[in-house]
Amino acid sequence: MPEVSKARDFFESSTAAIADHELRRKLESASSRHLDHFAQVKAEFPPYEEERDAAHRIKTDAIAHLDELLIELTSSLQARGCKVFFAEDAAQARDYIVGLAKAKGAKNVVKGKSMTTEEIDLNDAFAKAGIDAVETDLGEYIVQLRGERPSHIITPAIHLSKEDIGQLFTDKFGIDYTAEPEKLTAEARSRLRAIFLAADFGVTGVNFAIAETGTLIVVENEGNGRLSSTMPETFVAVMGIEKVIPRLEDLSHFLEILARTATGQKLTTYTSFVTGPRREGDLDGPREMHVVILDNGRSAMLADPVLREALNCIRCGACLNVCPIYRRIGGHAYRSVYPGPIGSIVSPNLFGSAAGHLPFASTLCGACKDICPVKIDIPRILLHLRWKESTGKHPLKWPRAIERARRGARRFAKTAQYPRTIRALGKFAAILLKPFAHNGYLRRMPGPFGNWTKYRNFPRPRPHKRPQG
Amino acid sequence: MAELHKIIANVKDALGSGAQNNSHDADAAAAIPVSPSAQRAELVSAFARELEEVGGKFLGIVTPAELTSRIVTLAGEIGAKSVAIGQGVASDMGAIGEALERADFRIVRTLPVADIERAPMRARVADADLGIADADFAIASTGTLAVVSNPQRPSSLTLLPPASLAIVQIDRIMPNLAAALAAIGPAGVAANRLTLITGPSRTADIEKRIVLGVHGPKSLHVIVVWPHDD
Repeated sequence: MPEVSKARDFFESSTAAIADHELRRKLESASSRHLDHFAQVKAEFPPYEEERDAAHRIKTDAIAHLDELLIELTSSLQARGCKVFFAEDAAQARDYIVGLAKAKGAKNVVKGKSMTTEEIDLNDAFAKAGIDAVETDLGEYIVQLRGERPSHIITPAIHLSKEDIGQLFTDKFGIDYTAEPEKLTAEARSRLRAIFLAADFGVTGVNFAIAETGTLIVVENEGNGRLSSTMPETFVAVMGIEKVIPRLEDLSHFLEILARTATGQKLTTYTSFVTGPRREGDLDGPREMHVVILDNGRSAMLADPVLREALNCIRCGACLNVCPIYRRIGGHAYRSVYPGPIGSIVSPNLFGSAAGHLPFASTLCGACKDICPVKIDIPRILLHLRWKESTGKHPLKWPRAIERARRGARRFAKTAQYPRTIRALGKFAAILLKPFAHNGYLRRMPGPFGNWTKYRNFPRPRPHKRPQG
Repeated sequence: MAELHKIIANVKDALGSGAQNNSHDADAAAAIPVSPSAQRAELVSAFARELEEVGGKFLGIVTPAELTSRIVTLAGEIGAKSVAIGQGVASDMGAIGEALERADFRIVRTLPVADIERAPMRARVADADLGIADADFAIASTGTLAVVSNPQRPSSLTLLPPASLAIVQIDRIMPNLAAALAAIGPAGVAANRLTLITGPSRTADIEKRIVLGVHGPKSLHVIVVWPHDD
């Protein structure tokens, strides 16, 4: 089970992250550079909005026909010689993949970048079985060497500086220290190339699965996905049930927007279309190809008419880059495999009540909804999840400070029904707080309100400004 | 496959009756746009511009007769000692291979292999300094190459050597991704592995700085062939 935080852990980790100015600098610089690229490629591509509409329409329609499409995909995959395994939960998927690797006597497992394998905590399962599984995406390789998890679904090492990575390579490989990205990349290339040539078992995720042809699409920039799916004799692709789209002709609408929002590219460097294992006489490709199709809470999301829309997600990561919360605390503070706005939606559904507090970690500003390439109404779904969490069988256990704030808010809501009382209280507070104010702002407030002024100033209430009407 | 039926049943239940949904039939596949001669120059220049933007190198337009010597020149320019070469879509790779051999380059020809020959063949392709492959199509709007692999033209050719050269026939440059995928079609895609290649292998994983040549080629060169009589 991947580490998933309880509310208190999140409260502590996010508090610590907010105080980490170095982390904030890295996140701000990476996110804003990213958003600049996106704005530029979007401006250069007039049909962007049309493609976005088409992608939204196709995906919504595909999700509405998911049962038929999964049956069609399964028979297409089998017709091409793939072995298909449906996993109800993470444990089933892990057991199948690790069991297969054991049965094949696999010694060198290579992994292409895949959030779904993070979701099922596959690396840990390989390690427990005594099998070496190497992450081959550069960012994933770096975080694996550090014994960490990715802090961003597209840019796993976004929380590290080049100096951090230089030091890591010196410590792990005993090479001379360098912080030049070119040299660090060359070092990783030569180490990983040797591993690839000896690999006997490969695992990647899947970006799209075409039901019509049984083709799996893997999108990436480095070549780690290509190598992981061509070099080893056994190849396993892991996909959530929501990855299926009906036809080949649907695909271009997604590819035209995915790279633009994810990385600010027009297309990623490599888009691999894998249809079955290698053919007679082929140099490349696996002898055996397995496709693990994972539910793990997704069909429960499908059953909820509001949540269902979240299955449209194509994991571009754009909502992370615009989120004011993510940009302050980074991915690790969420203590969940999927961080950021979309992570706060899927985590409670994939990992249960341990992540039930995450939908509350949002300002509901709507930036995520605006940028989402498949137009998921993330704030609406977050509100829905808050409602579910607050009215469910096991309401959240909040840290005391938050519980007090909630009680305070409830009292305020009652009091606010009486405008005269509110005005009188406002006047009273203004007089009471006056001695604590400097230049019109309160820097420290007493009691539970202190949680607010710990990180920001609060404008001093001004009695002479009456609300209109 | 008990899980399959269980998950499908879950999905079905979740969808409710599911019958009222309109079918996902989209418009009939658009006719494959065949670019008339007049548009070709425009497509090539758009393709060249986009290719260079993603870090690829456009080597220009040649006639079929000029192709071989241009390739020999390139192999010399990048300081290659051995060159891996597969069978072409349209180019005469036999002649190109012979010309390279006459110019003292060591040639690795990718032929259909039995299982036991795979590792040594792959090691030779990985050791080559340059891999040459015909592209099935190119995409003007993104500077992309579409390569369908087969036993004579494995995916390794465009992946393992540090430099990659793709040859594109002028009538195979499509305006955009949708047109290229329509031209390849479901049967073409399913025939074997298809790879869309947009520039050299790259990463931005270290402080979002772009570095080329992570796992795949560090340099990508493209020659476009335009027959005289066309």
